[in-house]
Amino acid sequence: MADKAMSISVPCEKPIKLEKWKVKQGAFVSQGQILFLYSDSSGNDSQIKKYKAIRAGTIIAIKVKEGDVAQPGGCLADLEECRHPTVMKDMCAECGADLRAEERKKQDVAIVPMVHSVPELKVSEELALKLGREDADRLLKDRKLVLLVDLDQTLVHTTNDDIPPNLKGVLHFFLRGPGSNGRWCHTRLRPRTQEFLESASKNYELHVCTFGARQYAHAVTELLDPKKKYFSHRILSRDECFDARTKSANLKALFPCGDNMVCIIDDREDVWKHAANLIHVRPYSFFQTTGDINAPPPLNDEKSKMISGKNGSLLPQLPTLEAEPEKLETIENDIKKESVENNENTNNVAKNKNNDKVDVLNENPNEPEPKWLETSDGQIEIEDPDDYLIYLEDILLRIHRHFYDTYEKMGNKQIPDLKFIIPEVKSKVLANTSLVFSGLVPTHQKLETSRAYLVARSLGAEVTQDLTEKTTHLVAVRSGTAKVNASRRMGEGKAKVHVVTPEWLWACAERWERVDERLYPLQRGGQSSARRPPAHCTSPPPAPPVPTPALRKRTPSGRFMDTLNPLLSFSSDDIADMDREVEDIFNESDESSSDEEDKMGDDDDDEENLSENRLLALENTTNSQERLQDKDEDNSSDSETGTDRPKKRPRPSTPPSDDDIPPDDDDSSWNLMGAALEREFLAQD
Amino acid sequence: MFYHISLEHEILLHPRYFGPQLLDTVKQKLFTEVEGTCTGKYGFVIAVTRIESIGAGLIQPGQGFVVYPVKYTAVVFRPFKGEVLDAIVTQVNKVGMFAQIGPLSCFISHHSIPADMEFCPNVNPPCYKSKQEDNVIQEEDVIRLKIVGTRVDATGIFAIGTLMDDYLGLVTQ
Repeated sequence: MADKAMSISVPCEKPIKLEKWKVKQGAFVSQGQILFLYSDSSGNDSQIKKYKAIRAGTIIAIKVKEGDVAQPGGCLADLEECRHPTVMKDMCAECGADLRAEERKKQDVAIVPMVHSVPELKVSEELALKLGREDADRLLKDRKLVLLVDLDQTLVHTTNDDIPPNLKGVLHFFLRGPGSNGRWCHTRLRPRTQEFLESASKNYELHVCTFGARQYAHAVTELLDPKKKYFSHRILSRDECFDARTKSANLKALFPCGDNMVCIIDDREDVWKHAANLIHVRPYSFFQTTGDINAPPPLNDEKSKMISGKNGSLLPQLPTLEAEPEKLETIENDIKKESVENNENTNNVAKNKNNDKVDVLNENPNEPEPKWLETSDGQIEIEDPDDYLIYLEDILLRIHRHFYDTYEKMGNKQIPDLKFIIPEVKSKVLANTSLVFSGLVPTHQKLETSRAYLVARSLGAEVTQDLTEKTTHLVAVRSGTAKVNASRRMGEGKAKVHVVTPEWLWACAERWERVDERLYPLQRGGQSSARRPPAHCTSPPPAPPVPTPALRKRTPSGRFMDTLNPLLSFSSDDIADMDREVEDIFNESDESSSDEEDKMGDDDDDEENLSENRLLALENTTNSQERLQDKDEDNSSDSETGTDRPKKRPRPSTPPSDDDIPPDDDDSSWNLMGAALEREFLAQD
Repeated sequence: MFYHISLEHEILLHPRYFGPQLLDTVKQKLFTEVEGTCTGKYGFVIAVTRIESIGAGLIQPGQGFVVYPVKYTAVVFRPFKGEVLDAIVTQVNKVGMFAQIGPLSCFISHHSIPADMEFCPNVNPPCYKSKQEDNVIQEEDVIRLKIVGTRVDATGIFAIGTLMDDYLGLVTQ
């Protein structure tokens, strides 16, 4: 503070008589404001002159009284300069000074953008802390918490595709783009959104936090909350995000006193860096062909191994299809889908491809699919079975209650941290249960590293390798395994063991409640399709080496070889040319690549060796880590495109395990990769 | 402050407009190109009042486009430091409030709002309220403010205002 104080001294070489002060001590003066009137004290010139402030600031002390005579060089008053704690567009919002002209003060300039929708308005850290503390006090007083709400696929689903104009419950709005062109957006609110907002706003201060553009975010919020009573102006959009790939960077600015009281709901956890205070919601998908139109660009920096595509939220569901390729969907499902396609085909004359939307085959049989029915008045009535918000409402209520119970226990002095409260609430879900998995975890994988284990642990359940006295649940993929039979025998004893399908566990993880086991019984001879957890059933981040087989990088084209290297999508002639070149080089140089080739030695097919040669030659930079992940990609892209095309050769067989599960990460991935590449080349030609 | 001044503007016209309606097109184009724009020097051009002269068109070599120098008078709005203006509040938040003076956006920091007025975030819409609750400023209200600084860019002007002076604050009709 002191360094900013300056003294106002006598303005001329002669002694002056101070006639009148125009300001009071402690007053804020702006630049050019009249501070006092004075006259020459020698008496021969009685003209009264004005003294104007040369800088803005606060008068902290007046040292000369009115009527006194001051000598040249004497100090009249102390002025503390404005510290520019609030800055708008490089202008101090308090004194109006232009800070672009005053470069030297740069280190003091305010840096924290505290208002969601106005990134130009910045305040100093000091002021931000003060405002943050006031906010926290107010929230505690009102017994509220902060809830950051994602829009796309959490509360709404938006598409830019042409859709039938007579869909009931779909709202349409036009966004003006840069220049004259704009785009139509069609938004469907998740069922019960209004009720959800109403009830959540009683316990939470709601903020929108989305990767949509500012215009889009404001338009959708207007749809959700036309009276501005839930969100007010608290809308953070892509334009205000510090980082195009993660939302967590803005938390520090919005909540300078820490995010202890911040709870997040989002369908993507990677954008929050897997924060502990995130509730990972089931993505809402209504328009079957559209993913998240505002998904952030793929994350592939070295920090996050969670490589996920533009529509990472949907992708992880695809492997469930692959795991059971033989499993046919029910006829009913097929009929439903057909009618959907018909609806779209008739209306989708020209699909708008410029928008960064991603077409995804969202055929997961686990997802509740909306039913489309045409009513007599020409409106298409859609039966939307999505009921997730009921559960989410309940989860939020429990978190709120637990937070304030803990707060009161701590004597109303310390603020508990939601980053601990939320995992705690979650871990009560399956407390006092002991699970055993059968057929859920591949035999070569350690139980402790499987996702099912982590999900169960995060819900507070105990998981053991084998049936014990304490076992309460057996989660089995299919009946007939040794464990199932053993548990059926045990069931005749005192403690009954619930035998359930994995869907039970995923439902518990989704709803954060102990779902009735009778809803998910394991049928004799039946087989469950959901061996892998759906994407939104996440394990808590503290779990150290989380293997995430389900999250992978994906290119827009969706083809496996593009994920390896876009260069691979050449025509066969190009490839042949390149092969010749590469072989020339190989012949010239020494046998440096020989041991790499030795790794592939177990391939007996010449053609496949060739394709792997190409792979090695063209793709030196890809590390093996990425290749392992890409192996999964191979599976899923197969299932999407490979059904009607003749397979050149059977897929290299995997080492049979007694549970008959395709291994996740072993050396055969090399074989698989080669085979997949080969098939894609053939299909392309 | 409003001024009625004469200004100049060049209209670039495509050859397809060459015909009997040419001068009408030039006038129409002047209105659309000039009204509502903002220049740092003269401020916002509110309305063109009179077109004084349309000079001789000059055909651009190699293009066929023609350039008409047009002289016109217009009402312009140029905000100045120290000016007192009436504004409509558009957004109220914990850092301060935003207000709109016609085309001009203005920000008033919390510090420049009289100290007895407190921010109340819980009411809808949020507002600044004095302790006796007799003085409430919320969205859509008309306030009188003094401009303490302006940021003049090539495409717009932004102002910083204050309510800390005599006769400033809520305007009651």
